[in-house]
Amino acid sequence: MPPFPSQAEVEETLKRIQSQNGVQGIIIVNTEGIPIKTTLDNASTVQYAGLIHQLVMKARSTVRDIDPQNDLTFLRVRSKKNEIMIAPDKDAFSNKTSFLLY
Amino acid sequence: MKKSSLVFNSSSRAMNTSVAGHQVSQSSRHKWNFAGSQTRRNSILVGGSNRKRNILDRNANQAPRKPVRVLDNDGNDVTPLPLYHAEPGDMPSKPGRFLDEIFSSSESDQLKSTSSFNMRSFGSFLGSSLPSSLSTTASMTKGTEDSVPKLDIPIIPPPPCGQRKRDNVKQHVTEEMLDDVVDVCLTETDTISLFDLPPLIFMSEDADDTKAIKERNLQYAELCKNRTGNDKYVERSMQTFSGAPKEKQIQTDKIVMVDEGTFATIWDIYDSFCDQNKNPESEKANNPETTVNTSKGHEKRGEKSSSTLSIGSTIGSLLEMETCSLNAESNPELIMLTESFQHSLLVMERSIVANLFQPKLAAYRQLPIIKDPDSTVKPETEEKSEEGEESSSSPTLERLWAFSCELTRGWNITCMVWNKENPDLLAVAYGDCDSTNQKPSLICCWSLKNPTWPERVFHCHSCVTSLDFSANNPSQLAVGMYDGTIAIYTVQSRNNIHCIANSSECSKRHLKPVWQVNWSKQEITLSGEDRVEALVAVSADGRITKWLLCSNGLECIDLMKLKKTKNSKKKAVESKKKTEHMGSALTPGLCMDFHPTDSSVYLVGTWEGLIQKCSVANCHNVLETYQNHFCPVNSIEWSPFSPDVFLSCSSDWTIQLWKQECLTPVLSFTSAQRAVYAVRWSPNWSTIFAAINGLQVEIWDLNLSILHPTIVHQAAPGVTVTSVLFSRGTDCVLVGDSEGQVTVYQLKNLSVGQGKQVTKAVNT
Repeated sequence: MPPFPSQAEVEETLKRIQSQNGVQGIIIVNTEGIPIKTTLDNASTVQYAGLIHQLVMKARSTVRDIDPQNDLTFLRVRSKKNEIMIAPDKDAFSNKTSFLLY
Repeated sequence: MKKSSLVFNSSSRAMNTSVAGHQVSQSSRHKWNFAGSQTRRNSILVGGSNRKRNILDRNANQAPRKPVRVLDNDGNDVTPLPLYHAEPGDMPSKPGRFLDEIFSSSESDQLKSTSSFNMRSFGSFLGSSLPSSLSTTASMTKGTEDSVPKLDIPIIPPPPCGQRKRDNVKQHVTEEMLDDVVDVCLTETDTISLFDLPPLIFMSEDADDTKAIKERNLQYAELCKNRTGNDKYVERSMQTFSGAPKEKQIQTDKIVMVDEGTFATIWDIYDSFCDQNKNPESEKANNPETTVNTSKGHEKRGEKSSSTLSIGSTIGSLLEMETCSLNAESNPELIMLTESFQHSLLVMERSIVANLFQPKLAAYRQLPIIKDPDSTVKPETEEKSEEGEESSSSPTLERLWAFSCELTRGWNITCMVWNKENPDLLAVAYGDCDSTNQKPSLICCWSLKNPTWPERVFHCHSCVTSLDFSANNPSQLAVGMYDGTIAIYTVQSRNNIHCIANSSECSKRHLKPVWQVNWSKQEITLSGEDRVEALVAVSADGRITKWLLCSNGLECIDLMKLKKTKNSKKKAVESKKKTEHMGSALTPGLCMDFHPTDSSVYLVGTWEGLIQKCSVANCHNVLETYQNHFCPVNSIEWSPFSPDVFLSCSSDWTIQLWKQECLTPVLSFTSAQRAVYAVRWSPNWSTIFAAINGLQVEIWDLNLSILHPTIVHQAAPGVTVTSVLFSRGTDCVLVGDSEGQVTVYQLKNLSVGQGKQVTKAVNT
């Protein structure tokens, strides 16, 4: 068995998520906030990436200010029309976040 | 000396009492009587004149002074005579400074007389020696001149009196006189020492030092004396050259200022502190990453310089950042393969699914179902509520959801089992038990949090017939297969090897299908450790074996051999005697169950329809034989609430309820004319059990009726129901069918009392 999961599994998981009922799109963002994979159109992707990045930083900063040993694990933003779910990365500062519109 | 010191030319009305007294006492033994008052404020300048007094009055409020007459003991009038008599038309000296007064008056007095004033009398008090010449009356000058002894200062011959007159005339200066040219003669006064404190050398006892110092002092004094007029010393002046100034200009680039702000957040401080401790331990490879991260963090935190990098960063870190960013961009795939990304994906998937399944899961967990406030789907909810109202009266199974995915579609479910530690984890075995073809089968571990995709998928080479999770090691799953193999899988990690033990190498392994595997906690071992868990399997070859996990693999010990009875129709009441048929006449065992409290006793259901109660200790004899079924006993289970009661079901369409002591069944249940494949007690209620017979799921409630099942749920057409499982702590039941679906049903409207014992029901 390979020490790390195969590419195929990751792709499969992404496909499954995308095919869930009600999911509009997935964006995967790297450390700097640049989207590396997306299922939405370019303009929306860039917009979302930029805006969400700042939000995540703020949220994480808030959580950690209260208790530095704590960390943000998941962030959901519910609005009237849809819900944005953000899963930030575990590493302290390198935000490889993936978030999607639902 | 005395006399000379006593000479005061003028009455010292203005003298300090102390001084006068002091001097007086110093200088003579005569006693003086003072008449009149003298205030401290009186200036030393003696002044008998009215003008002086006026000045003094201006300075301080004084009582008008009476003339003072000093008389010694002999009655001589030794009143100090006034030193100064102010002339009419004298310039008034400026009020204010004491010394100013002294000097001004002294200057004016200079003109007048050469009378001297005995300095010494004042010297010790004031430390000052006034200029020698003070004005006195002309009559007294002569006398005083002679009597003046030493003087500290040479007498400056006063300028001719004409000047004084001129001064006097100037007093009455008119405007015309202002235009006159006035000659002002400036002369240097003598060095006026205001204070002379002779050096007090603390003479230590050390003779060397003192002598040397004294000698040096003397030498120096000599030198000073000799300096004047000595050839060795010449006056010389120096001048430093100032170089010619030169202009020079310099130009620099404009220094650009940038404002930089940063937050010293609590977590930032904490992170830096942790990194400090971590960094010396971490490998080199990690270091550039961490530095990149932090410097990038700086950039992020700065925020004001969003497009430009902060000035504070060094060139080195800049380069690092660039290279790393390049790396990052070129390897988005790498990111996706990291574990943390996987985890993020997992969490994301579960969240979405939780969103979708929230009402169902809430119902499962017996939580209130929250209606989505933003849901736009209104008509559906209305329909559902209507349906709910209709079926609210009678007990029924309400379908919540089904565990299914493409992977498992079409498979036949053979076994389902909950994890002992994590009640959300379910292991399901899929496979076709076909004796002709050994088809590979599937084991899926599902989590309640994601009913759309299994957490783990294992492939087995043979059809899996039985599963059981271990209680001691909750991640271990025992698998019994159709070809007789027993394997232990670990479900812990997604990536590691799953099968940790396999019985295919064991010599005593089963060659026939293993129908059931059970983990069972045995008695406490001699070493007093935790209760050892043994894996016990019952197989179609008639053996009940106990398996142990050792370093080589699985080793087995025979616990019991199920022997065929001579005549299955005979009712063997006490079959403790051995049958004479020995050897290979073993009957397949189909199911087994360990006693819930006494783990050394277990029941085995056989192909012949016998139920044998056996003991772990005794491997030759059975304890009891319960005979009623005449077809293979498919399933057997002790009641979790009543320790003496157990249920058995068989292909002879019946379900029998037994009590341990009684060899005949207490109750018998028949509902449909089909073989009953499985029967399960409910872990939550003592009087409820479920049974499946291929086409329907029956829920029996012994409280309500012993003749008919309370709930009968038909399977979908074409689908056979193959396994059933209750879930602990909630009123749901899982049903597995031949389509690969595990459907979760909720028992609705089952009015059950929890504390009732089956025995009560039985007895009534």
